[in-house]
Order: sequence, then C-alpha cells, then structure tokens
Amino acid sequence: MSFLYCLNPEKHKLRKWREDNHRNSEQIVDVGEELINEHASKLGDDIWIIYEQVMIAALDCSRDDLAWTCLQELKRQFPGSQRVKRLAGMRLEALEKYEDANKQYDSILQDDPTNTAARKRKISILKAQGKSAEAIRELNEYLEQFVGDQEAWHELSELYINEHDYGKAAFCLEELMMTNPHNHLYCEQYAEVKYTQGGLENLELSRKYFAQALKLNNRNMRALFGLYMSASHIAASPKVNATVKKANVKYATWATNQINRAYQLAGRGTKENKCSVKAVEEMLESITMS
Amino acid sequence: MGEVELSCLAYVKMYLHACLFPRCSVNGLLLSSSPAGGAVCVTDCVPLLHTHLPLAPITQLALTQVDVWCAQTQQRIVGYYQANACVSDSSPTPCALKIADKIAEQCNNAVLLMIDGGKMSPDYRVPPIVMYERKDTRWTLKDKHTIMLRQWEETRDIASQLLDSGDHSLLVDFDSHLDDITRDWTNQKLNAKIAELASPANGNV
Repeated sequence: MSFLYCLNPEKHKLRKWREDNHRNSEQIVDVGEELINEHASKLGDDIWIIYEQVMIAALDCSRDDLAWTCLQELKRQFPGSQRVKRLAGMRLEALEKYEDANKQYDSILQDDPTNTAARKRKISILKAQGKSAEAIRELNEYLEQFVGDQEAWHELSELYINEHDYGKAAFCLEELMMTNPHNHLYCEQYAEVKYTQGGLENLELSRKYFAQALKLNNRNMRALFGLYMSASHIAASPKVNATVKKANVKYATWATNQINRAYQLAGRGTKENKCSVKAVEEMLESITMS
Repeated sequence: MGEVELSCLAYVKMYLHACLFPRCSVNGLLLSSSPAGGAVCVTDCVPLLHTHLPLAPITQLALTQVDVWCAQTQQRIVGYYQANACVSDSSPTPCALKIADKIAEQCNNAVLLMIDGGKMSPDYRVPPIVMYERKDTRWTLKDKHTIMLRQWEETRDIASQLLDSGDHSLLVDFDSHLDDITRDWTNQKLNAKIAELASPANGNV
C-alpha cells in the first residue's frame, strides 16, 4: 500500500504541469523517467498520457534515448494514431531532420486536412529554420481558417515583434485582448508595442493600456514602470498643452509612489537586492526633481 | 582598433544567461570598472532580457537603472551582448545594433558581442563568441587576436561546473527581477560563487 501512496504526489505533479502547460522539461524528465522506469505497471491508463508528456519533455532536453523509449511504447499501444505520428514528427524535428518531419506532417494532413497540430508543427519548422517571413505567411493563412486559436495569435504577435512590424503585432494583441479582456499580460504587451511604435498618440494609448493592465493586476511591475515612463514622456513632450501635461505628471508621480512602495516592501526581507532598490530610488528621484 | 579583455566573471554570467533560457534570445550589458582609455576591460556584465528584446520600454528602463547603478559603483557600460534563440544564426539583429549604437554614443570603443549558440557545447575548445567594434558608423568584425580571455580553460571549467551543479539558476536577469523584485539583478550571490571557484584556494592562479 505504501508503494501506491508514494506514486500519487508524483502523478499529481505531472498532471498539474500538464494542465498548466508548464515547459519545465528538466523537472518533467526527472519525475517522469523515474515513474516510467520504476512504477509503470502501477500507473494504469494514465501511463499513456505520461509517456506523451515525458517524451516531449525529453525532446526538449535532448534526451533522445528516453524520447525513443516513450515513442515505442506509444506506437505499440496506438498503431496508426495521428497523435503518435505527430510525436514521431516532433522527434525528427528535435534531430533537425526537418524534411522527414515535414513528410510526417504532410501525411497526417493528407488523411486529415483539418489537423491543426500538424499544421502548427510545420510552421514551427519554418521558425526553427529562421524562415520568419514564410512562418508569418503560413500562420496568417492558418488563422484565416482557425480564427479562434489564441496560441496562434500570440505566436504571430511574437513573430511580428521580432520582425519589428509593430503595427501588425499590435493587431494580433488587439484580437487577444478582445477575446481575453481580463488578461493583464496582453494589455501590458500591447502597451509595450504601442510605446515602441512611438509618437504622441501611441504613447497616450500605451499609457492607457499600462493603466488597464494595472487595474487587472496591480502587482504587474512592467505595467507600473510602463505607466511611469509613458506618462513622463508625454508630460515632457513640447506638443502637449498644460492640462495634459499636468495630468500626466500626476500619473507619473502616482506611479513613482507605487514603485517606491513596492521596492520598500521588497527591500525589507533580504540584503540581497539593496543595489537594485538603490538604483530605482535614484532613478525615480530624477523625475520628481524636473 | 583596441584590445578587449573579457573577465571570467563577465564571460561566465553571459554564458549561464544563455544556458538558463535556451529557447529564447537573451541580451545584456557589458561593464567595466577600469578607467576609460587604453584597452577595454570587460569586468562584469548585467543580464537583461529573455523576452521581447526589440520592445522599447523595458530596455530603456533597464539601461537607465544600470546607468544609475554604474554611477554608484564606479563602473561604465562598455558594451552589449546577445545570444539568438535560433542557434544557426549568430549575426547581430537590428535591435542589437540599435542598443550597441546607443552605448557607443557614450563610450568610444564600445563592443558588441554575439554568443554563437552553435559552438557552446563542451566539444569546442574556443570561446563561442564573436565580437564587433565600431568603425566609422558600422559594426565590423573584430580581429580575434585583439580579444583576450585570461585563463580561458579555468573560466570554461567554472562555467561548466556551475551548469552541472544547477547553480546557473541563481542567475537573475532584469526580466526575472521584474517578475519578482526581491531578486537581485546585480547578482551578488552568483558573483560570490564565481569568485570562490576562481580563487587561488581552488587551485586556480
């Protein structure tokens, strides 16, 4: 009985990581490898999903030996499965055998043209090969068909950011904010993109969205700093009238106080971050003096 | 142009930064505690980001904070490093050039350092880095012979040791600091560990 008792916390960990979509591959390999090697017979039907999870983590850690083992077990149990075929394709990707991987995915798509997983893997291959323009084009085509795929919208926004195409990145983030109005991270990323685009109008938008992100999560430090910086820049711009300037100085000062408070609280615990606390204090002093 | 010396501390932290986030592009600033003039001695580095490198706000924030910290600790920002997520391409990205340009405005012989992800495995005996310097308005490849890493083998071993022991997770970059502001981006703890490993007591001269 004690044997089974030992298993549950480990199984629970793996399930939690699955559900939260954590990419802590080293940990998954550690926990999962032991479960598979020592306790396979006691895992029941859970073993198949664990094999899949551990295999993907193993690929992430260059553990082809472990990935191969998991793949063989899955192939044996589910011969002809598209899902297992995709895993085989991922292994080929990990080995940088992109042509072979593409053939795998193409054969999945021949049988099932709506298989989104295979299409997304093909786009990942383009990304891995540094073919950003093609990856962007394919992802756009994909999204025309699968408009609700959040993960794809986010991936596209990242690709556009890397290409410095901020207008299009903003568009993707707008889609995400529409469907996820309570997600503070999308608000904050949108604000960062607007800030980067620059110009008074974009700065004002960025300030609004940093503020919105803070409303949704008042501990988002990036949003807090973003509010401080965008408001400061607007206040300092020669193009704004006195009213706007006054309002933005107010926002910036508010942000400064919040930042100071946060760092005072943080600095209380340890000696460790005294340097970073001091740096922030000095930086903020400079705005209140001007 | 001039000679550049890269300290053990700077190299190890840069290397560990790239190892800590193998799926992301990472970047950081190179610092010097030596006075200006003569060879550039990179004595330390501050790891900055592992997400959204091209976006402005956090980069600007980090540059400002590091500036302030440098003034407090008699250091100067003398360069910039980056490791691209895509291992097969170690050429400087537009954002790398932009930030390096900014640094060069304040520092004459600033350096731009790209970590070559493809050469980071233990099989390679030479430092996996490519350095650029500013000639006229362009960043050009630096002559390898003007780049010095004293005690390269010891440095390389220290980096591997920290990687094996899992201590590389001690490294805090600016991004991680913003996720949890009790974490210290000046990395005093990790610096101490590296200094310990590099000390003569450990057989390193």
